[in-house]
Amino acid sequence: MNEKKTQLVEMVGEDAVVENPDLGDFLSLDPLLIPPLRPHFLVRPENVDEVQRIVLWANETRTPLVPVSSGPPHFRGDTFPTAPEAVIVDLSRMNRVLRVDRRNRLVLMEPGVTYGQLQSELQKYGLRVIMPLLPRRNKSVLAALLEREPPMSPRYHWNMLEPLRSLEIVWGNGDKLYSGSGIYRGETDEDWLEGRVPVWGPGPGQLDYYRLLSASQGTLGIATWASVKCEVLPQVRRLFLVPAPRLDDLLDFTYKLLRFRFGDELFIVNNTALAMILARRPEEVPTLRDVLPAWTVVVGITGGEFLPAERVQAQESDIRDIAQEFGLSLMPAVPGCRGGDLLKILLEPSAEPYWKIRYRGGMQEIFFLTPLERTPGFVATMLAAASEHQYPTPDVGIYLQPVHQGVGCHCEFILPFDPRNRAEVARARELFRDASVRLFHQKAYFSRPYGIWAPMVYNADAQATLALRKVKDIFDPNHVMNPGKLCF
Amino acid sequence: MPLEDFAGEADRCSQCSYCKWIPFDHIKSWRFAKNCPSIAYHNFNSYSARGRYAVTRSLLRGQIGYTDTLRRIIFTCLTCGSCDVSCKICRYNLEPLEMVRELKFRAVGDGQGLEAHRVVIESLNREQNTLSQPRARRGDWANGLDVPRLPKDKAEVVFHAGCRSSYDPQLQATARAAVTLLRNAGVNVGIMGERELCCGGRVYSMGYREEFARFAQANVNAWASAGVKMVVTSCADGYHAFKRLYPRLGLPVEVLHTVELLARLIEDGKLKFRSPVPMTVTYHDPCHLGRQGEPYVPWNGVEKKIFNQIIVYEPKRPRYNGAWGVYDPPRQVLRSIPGLELVEMERIQEYSWCCGAGGGVREAYPEFSLWTARERITEAQATGAEALVTACPWCERNFMDANDASGEPMPVYDIVDLVQKATL
Amino acid sequence: MPLPRHIYQALEDIVGPENISDDPAVLDSYRYSLAHTAIHVGPYYDTFTPRGLAVLLPGSTEEVQAIVRLCNKYGIKFKASSTFWSAQGYPSDDNTIQLDMRRMDRILEIDEKNMFAVIEPGVIGATLQAEAMKRGLNTHIPGSGCSCSPLASATSYFGSGPSNLFGGWYYDNLLGVEWVMPTGEIMRTGALGSGCGWFCGEGPGPSLRGIFRGFIGAKGALGVFTKCALKLFPWPGPEHLPVEGRPPAYRSPLPRELFRAYTLAFPSWKAWADAAYMIWDAGIGYLAHRQFNMFGRDLKFAMIKILTNPNGTLNDLEELLQDPEVQRVTEESMRDFQIVLAGMTPRDLEWQERALDEILARTGGWKVEAMNAPEIHDWVLVYLIRLGHKNLNLVYGGGYDGCFGLFGVPDFGTRRVEEAAAFKKEWEKKGAIVASGGDSMMGPIGGQGGGGTCLWENFTHFDPHDRDSVEGTREFFDACTEFALQKGWGVGMEKWNAAAVGPDGRMPPKEVRDQIHLSAPQPSIYRYQARIRRAFNPNNLGDAYYETLEEEE
Repeated sequence: MNEKKTQLVEMVGEDAVVENPDLGDFLSLDPLLIPPLRPHFLVRPENVDEVQRIVLWANETRTPLVPVSSGPPHFRGDTFPTAPEAVIVDLSRMNRVLRVDRRNRLVLMEPGVTYGQLQSELQKYGLRVIMPLLPRRNKSVLAALLEREPPMSPRYHWNMLEPLRSLEIVWGNGDKLYSGSGIYRGETDEDWLEGRVPVWGPGPGQLDYYRLLSASQGTLGIATWASVKCEVLPQVRRLFLVPAPRLDDLLDFTYKLLRFRFGDELFIVNNTALAMILARRPEEVPTLRDVLPAWTVVVGITGGEFLPAERVQAQESDIRDIAQEFGLSLMPAVPGCRGGDLLKILLEPSAEPYWKIRYRGGMQEIFFLTPLERTPGFVATMLAAASEHQYPTPDVGIYLQPVHQGVGCHCEFILPFDPRNRAEVARARELFRDASVRLFHQKAYFSRPYGIWAPMVYNADAQATLALRKVKDIFDPNHVMNPGKLCF
Repeated sequence: MPLEDFAGEADRCSQCSYCKWIPFDHIKSWRFAKNCPSIAYHNFNSYSARGRYAVTRSLLRGQIGYTDTLRRIIFTCLTCGSCDVSCKICRYNLEPLEMVRELKFRAVGDGQGLEAHRVVIESLNREQNTLSQPRARRGDWANGLDVPRLPKDKAEVVFHAGCRSSYDPQLQATARAAVTLLRNAGVNVGIMGERELCCGGRVYSMGYREEFARFAQANVNAWASAGVKMVVTSCADGYHAFKRLYPRLGLPVEVLHTVELLARLIEDGKLKFRSPVPMTVTYHDPCHLGRQGEPYVPWNGVEKKIFNQIIVYEPKRPRYNGAWGVYDPPRQVLRSIPGLELVEMERIQEYSWCCGAGGGVREAYPEFSLWTARERITEAQATGAEALVTACPWCERNFMDANDASGEPMPVYDIVDLVQKATL
Repeated sequence: MPLPRHIYQALEDIVGPENISDDPAVLDSYRYSLAHTAIHVGPYYDTFTPRGLAVLLPGSTEEVQAIVRLCNKYGIKFKASSTFWSAQGYPSDDNTIQLDMRRMDRILEIDEKNMFAVIEPGVIGATLQAEAMKRGLNTHIPGSGCSCSPLASATSYFGSGPSNLFGGWYYDNLLGVEWVMPTGEIMRTGALGSGCGWFCGEGPGPSLRGIFRGFIGAKGALGVFTKCALKLFPWPGPEHLPVEGRPPAYRSPLPRELFRAYTLAFPSWKAWADAAYMIWDAGIGYLAHRQFNMFGRDLKFAMIKILTNPNGTLNDLEELLQDPEVQRVTEESMRDFQIVLAGMTPRDLEWQERALDEILARTGGWKVEAMNAPEIHDWVLVYLIRLGHKNLNLVYGGGYDGCFGLFGVPDFGTRRVEEAAAFKKEWEKKGAIVASGGDSMMGPIGGQGGGGTCLWENFTHFDPHDRDSVEGTREFFDACTEFALQKGWGVGMEKWNAAAVGPDGRMPPKEVRDQIHLSAPQPSIYRYQARIRRAFNPNNLGDAYYETLEEEE
């Protein structure tokens, strides 16, 4: 056994160490976009002390670490090593839901807790956590929140990190720190009775630790515990669809709903994306796509604990009036899709296989932030690029998710392809590269710069790069955390 | 109250900067939110009421001496009183307007008065007016008018024209119109003519307390000799002097502004309109008729504390927060003129923006004074009105001069002018 | 020691001669009295922040940058402030120039569709709100009121206020920022740095605004913020706030089918807490704050009667408190808070109203009827929406600061409020502070968007002109700190800036600062702040308002 393995085993136990792990399905990503470097080890710590020991060890031995919390497949490359001799720190064993508190609507969890696990646990307490659109069942909630995955419900999205609150962080230098009000561990009943609870996200002090850690792709530290704000589990739910032939027709309506904070789940999909969501089998996608409206706003309306039926009725009437104002209709169903059926799907993480790859087996995503009103321009660019690369434009799935209560919009293009077909893979790769650059030049904001987006973005923002490197030098002075990502 | 008596207020000033803005509740736009011309123009904190409290404190402690800058800080205060109104939205134990008056008295007393003001004082002493004009010509504005000249003739009501109206060729007609309107409505009003003395109000606000007191006494004596029971004036400055300052010296005066009397006469049916005046106008509230035109309430008391540290007064002190200024009568008059449409500016009544003429600023800092007037004209133009109308000859003169100096001009009227037009 | 002439000249060349001064009278109007609302420090009688070397009024980002570069060249500290209320914006040592950001007061843009505004530091909440309202939008306003700078509050301080609940607090609402860094480079955060606009303040990658704005901002000690974008929220009312009445009893007769203001009261603190939680669960409310209790439990209703009467003065207090009706309402509203409901549509408001009634039924709470009198109701609306009467914090005599804080979820505060009140009430008997009834606690119902926390700032009113009052207040605050530490509540608001400014109005010595930082629950946060300061402010041109703990290397 080599020295490193011995040391790792000493820290986490033999059954938690895998040498030369086979990561087959781990990464469903075009290897030519991100050159694969095989990790040397994969370790599965069980608690924060083990994590801390690993990080300190990594500093002593100058070993690159790549933290990951979610299960496979992974698509963005951030959880795959881009430095040799790396150790993957797999936090999936740290998967306890530690505490759910209905009164303060908080859940305390470890990084390995997945959406599949969490929502069913929260339901018992009459709670839910606002979710991204159909995350993988094994997607880590903490990782999704830290990476600023947009939730479906913009009205609760008070800032871009919501609903994430306090964290326990092991920084790249091995220090442990509680961000927000994480100093309140909430471990005893008395704590909760007395109100000593980790409800707060920012700080402490004048530095915003969890914000610095967000979207860092594991390059600054490892979050080992989190408090997350929950919403009340609705007693009444309806889902409506507002269709239109053109995206432009839907924007003002959506803006008005955002302004009034009406609706719960609120997003826009094109027919392809909606077909991909609804289809249980790959062959259903093209059929569904052909009958579904070209564009649809999905509007969830919920009633919570107080007069839920009245609430839903009032909102429904108001939203119906607003739709009419813009020549649109609020429908319980459209050809190909019943609101009730879609709702059932949306309330759960994605069924297997993951909805984005269900159609062709593989996919590439391009996503960025933009004001909603600019999305038609980006859609045109994407489709033009697809056309030029002979990529079938009807296959482009488009998902527009207003964020931060409507100030911005997550604009996502899903490009399915058959990963066994070399030509398709090459075409998808080239399209991905080309479209990313075009969109970037059109002022798409790649706020989460995975893979090739990182050099694109950082080369254009020198000050951010300099500042980030200073931050990196403070929290990970030996650069052990996921080297090669972002601008490091 | 000597300046030392404001040491407590200097410490108790909230430091909130409310004195730099109109009462926030009334802000309707970014453009017309400010209230204090001196800080709006100069920008340094010292040019606000809170800044002048700080300066007062430093002066009292001997931490600063007189410099050109300090003199500028003191004498660019227009004593418009807008800071006072804004402060008193929340504070009940600060008197910023009184403080700055006292600061001026102290500066003058310390020999730090301005040359431009000394010229005015000399004129006052020599010719009994503030405009360096010959006393003998003071009554010329009324030549040919059939009006009793006191004290030779008798009248219980005297129309006090004031220095500006008496000598300003463009404004004399308004004074003539005022007297004519009143007499035609049956008011037995006379004038002092060349015997009229300056009210002293302007030099009071420049910091010359003794000169003011002398003229106040002289005026009161003259009216007593002439059997006058009531003073009517079209000059807001004079109005304020008679109504608010004279009684403080123990010289109570029964006074009305012309617009107040006109409003009564219209309501009583004694003034009738014959012709429409088809015009859209906006009305500028003169500081000394509006927020400083509140009734005088005598008070002589002391400060005391209740509930340990709440500062109150024994007896209860009048607030003078602009709540009861003369705002309605001018508007009633305007609204009763047939064909006339009144539109309001954003800053009106107790939170009106000053015309820039007061406090000795017009005399000493003409550029700043005209800038202030220009600001007001811009605000008036933003209403879409065709003309700016007001009720004070000093406001009118400053607006007219600002019209000439820069920017797009706007016609300026006195209320009396429009009333006269409507009676023709 | 005055600013050397050649440096003064160089600064004058940047801003122009009319925008710089070192005249003593001007400099003294930029000194803050610590016998006052210094904010979370002192009070200290007859103590002032030091005179700056000069005061400058920059007019643009370029001017600010040039000034900062010059300061780096000559090793001069600089302190920028927008509205100068509290000691935080002023120099805390001799070698400092004061930047007054007043001239940079433009609202650069209001993006109506995407609901944000781009502003300069001299913009105040009132003018931003007035302009936003014309477009059917509203801005969050910090608890200190609309006379303050939203940019300063969002980038450099705290930013909590009555509209946290629905509008989000400034932490939630801060988007792109233009930052003149302490060394003079300009950083534009988020989408702005990528040339994509103001709408997103995060990233790319890690959110770099985390460098200068944590739970609280850098308080002027880490460069100068010259522009920022702030998220707005909907305003369903008319384009201009309708206001009538004589000062100070202004009223806003907003349409009742869209706006209602209530004072809610509860039979117990548990019920109060329950109601707060339920209001957040229900997602109702436009503004929610325990506001008027700042006058003191015993005095608040009498004060409201005075404030809503154009002829009222503080002299009326004693007589009003004899009135049985005033006594009854005072007693009734002991455990209270204010809430404004605003409906985006009449249906929306009706549902909110019914949900509120349901919450009151479940908690045993009620709407205080006396506060529904039209002249009071409409005054409350304009007060809470425009928040332009915050000088009332100092109404009694000009001095106030807050103690305790009890910051946390409602259960935290409600379990301790009576103790905090009783402690203060005892001290009120000594005479140094206003006898307002012990409980003068004010704070938001919802410290952030969507609710979750409360703050209980126990207002302590004193006379800054009275040495005994000032020193007695400080003794009281020292006692509060000791009491709270004994109780495990943590150091209260009365000492939050104790590491920034000391009894002489200047930065305290290192030993004092270190002691404070080492006794914090996580001293490491100050060590990290020290490293941030070394990385971003290597010439150390800020003061101790950015708190650092230097470790031995």
